[in-house]
Amino acid sequence: MISVQQLTKKFGAQVAVDALSFEVPAGQIVGFLGPNGAGKTTTLKMLTGMLEPTSGAASIQGFDLVRQTLDVKRHVGFVPESGAVFESLTGLEYLQMVAALYGIPGQAALERIKQFIAFFDLSFETLTDKLLGAYSKGMRRKVVITAALLHNPPVVFFDEPLDGLDANAAVGFKTLIQTLAREGKTIVYSSHILDVVERVCERVIIIDKGKMLLDGAPEELVAAHGSGTLERLFTQMTGGSELEQRAADFAKTFRP
Amino acid sequence: MKENSSVLPPGRVLRRLFLTLFLRGRSSRGLQKSGAPKTVGSKLALTLLFYSLFGLMATMFIGQPLFVLTVYLHSMTLAFLGMFIASSAGEVLFNKEEADILMHRPIDARSLLWSKIGVMVQVSLWVAAAFNLVGLVVGAASPDGGWLFPLAHILSTATEALFCTSCIVLTYQLCLRWFGRERLDALMTTAQVIVAVVVVMGGQLAPQLFRFRGRIGVPAHSWWMAFIPPVWFAGFDEALTGHGGPMSWILASVGVGITAGLLLLAFGKLARDYERGLQTLQEAAPARPQRSRRRWAEKLANVQPLRWWLRDPVSRASFLLMTAYLTRDRDVKLRVYPGLAPFLVMPVVFLVGMRSGVTIDFGVAFSSAYLAAMPVLALNLLQYSQQWQAADVFRSAPLIGPARLCHGARRAVLCFLIFPALLVVSLLVWFGSGGGQFLAMLLPGIIALPIYSLLPVVRGRWAPLSQPTEEARSAGRAVSMMGVMLSSMALAGVAVAARTLGILPWFLLVEAILSIALYVILRSSMNAARWQPLE
Repeated sequence: MISVQQLTKKFGAQVAVDALSFEVPAGQIVGFLGPNGAGKTTTLKMLTGMLEPTSGAASIQGFDLVRQTLDVKRHVGFVPESGAVFESLTGLEYLQMVAALYGIPGQAALERIKQFIAFFDLSFETLTDKLLGAYSKGMRRKVVITAALLHNPPVVFFDEPLDGLDANAAVGFKTLIQTLAREGKTIVYSSHILDVVERVCERVIIIDKGKMLLDGAPEELVAAHGSGTLERLFTQMTGGSELEQRAADFAKTFRP
Repeated sequence: MKENSSVLPPGRVLRRLFLTLFLRGRSSRGLQKSGAPKTVGSKLALTLLFYSLFGLMATMFIGQPLFVLTVYLHSMTLAFLGMFIASSAGEVLFNKEEADILMHRPIDARSLLWSKIGVMVQVSLWVAAAFNLVGLVVGAASPDGGWLFPLAHILSTATEALFCTSCIVLTYQLCLRWFGRERLDALMTTAQVIVAVVVVMGGQLAPQLFRFRGRIGVPAHSWWMAFIPPVWFAGFDEALTGHGGPMSWILASVGVGITAGLLLLAFGKLARDYERGLQTLQEAAPARPQRSRRRWAEKLANVQPLRWWLRDPVSRASFLLMTAYLTRDRDVKLRVYPGLAPFLVMPVVFLVGMRSGVTIDFGVAFSSAYLAAMPVLALNLLQYSQQWQAADVFRSAPLIGPARLCHGARRAVLCFLIFPALLVVSLLVWFGSGGGQFLAMLLPGIIALPIYSLLPVVRGRWAPLSQPTEEARSAGRAVSMMGVMLSSMALAGVAVAARTLGILPWFLLVEAILSIALYVILRSSMNAARWQPLE
């Protein structure tokens, strides 16, 4: 489970995350939404121990984020938006390296890796013979997701996990995270693909300019604001409702 | 990275990882992507071969006292290691992408730092071993060397590698601690340039100091020797081989003591700062926008004669792009300035050591020819970037080849790097030689400058920021720089001969005519070059 109280991050004078507080119980999938620059990635980086908060507190599985950072890191998995990997390693070398960092013995790691590649429909030869730099974006994303789940963490943070995945892989992934949640894992899912969030997440948190705007079940929030869809609710809440008019005005500038 | 059924400690996993990354590079560009690399580090092998060949210079010290040889070996080792570590440290210690891969894993900053340092020390020891190989044999064969010398020298060189690494890491840590995120990028670059310059100057000045004293050995009253790092380690060699006096032991103790202190500070006390440094690299928000700083290049490009020189909009855009990267991009700055600094300092060191008229003539001509050849190295370095994939925008633009981009980049290098350096050298010549009588010797280099600046781009393979940074570590560049240095020496030698024979004006006229002809040929070949196919 995740517990966040008044979590704040400042970069100089700029407040990136402003006193954010929420709790996520075990087994819940939470959609973490916000426009670009809202503070989503900064929040996720703080909750995974990558960035130190300026103030506030948070705990993951009961471990304090600041005082027990290594314990927190042992209990979380993170799929970063960048999908960064060491391109000059083969997929297998990369995953074995990640497994070793979590203290997973070589043979056990290999078995887990094989399970994941079977699930993601990757060939073992590709994993052993090709450098990650030669992988397609989707294949690379599958490796990154595998690397995040390899140590079987109770809490998983996904930052735009579907980026690059084909339709089949995306469907498989959505099923996977729902299964993981049913097994008691806490999942925070940050994405701009709102219809997926609406279908997968039982709760959404919308932030803007570092501040919490909404927190609740998607259907309840949509009903309460009379928005019809989560997408409409999102644009309504984050100042994007005039976008259609702006696009129309902009298109006029291209007329001969 | 082989399969293993046992659990390795994270430190060992990381060391193995960073060594693999160091040898293969961080991106797969340039490697055989379709298959796992079987032979890693072929570039490193070439580099080591180059250093081994350079180590042959030690044979010049056959018959000299051991101390002279060891001072030379340690000076050069320190210079090579300093440059090598300073140019790698930024990329190895503070890699932005690495944060997304490793920072959320259960690794503490100290293990991360130690692993990286371990790899840097390991590779720098390979470099040092390659360079010192011949020196070891020469030293063992010298009368005051003997069988103990190789052991002593290996030990002292290992200590020197630790000294060098900890110096550079400490500089980074202190920059982080004192100046924080806002000025980190600029300061790290400045610190690296300073380290590279100090190391090279130290390596060059130590032998000069000995010559100045007019005698060789460890004079009992030379207190100043205790301030020269290569001398500490030479004293170490002398003490351990049993041929040194109390001064050798003092020098050795100073070396070991300072190295231990630096290690303690860099990797013990300041390791926490390293973690903070890694975190700050992920912070996307700059402290405040610096609009005025960003506009100066554009304003400058609007001033005549630069405005006329950049009348082609593509060249102008390329000029502004290069200016932006030379002044803003941490990765480019960390590679270009430390890479160029030692070469820019070399003419100054050369000019400072000038004595008689002919030496001054040669020194001035060589300095100018050397600086004229610098665009070769600068443009070579400016084709590498962490954002190399963004260079696809050049190929998708309606340009038949990279020529117009090259012109802009070339002009940026000339304006911001070469012309200021030439001005400094001219002033040094003016004030150093008590007047302008030697300034004419700057002309052979200046006339050759346009030719040199076209050489790297002439085949049409060059485009700004279009290659991944991993390909920047190449022994080929070291060889081409050696060629540039030899050609500068040849040009300076011919110019001195022409002046001695009283035909300098004729020589300059012939050089100018040849340069113009060559320039026209090279430029037309460059303008005709089409885009090379992508890998």
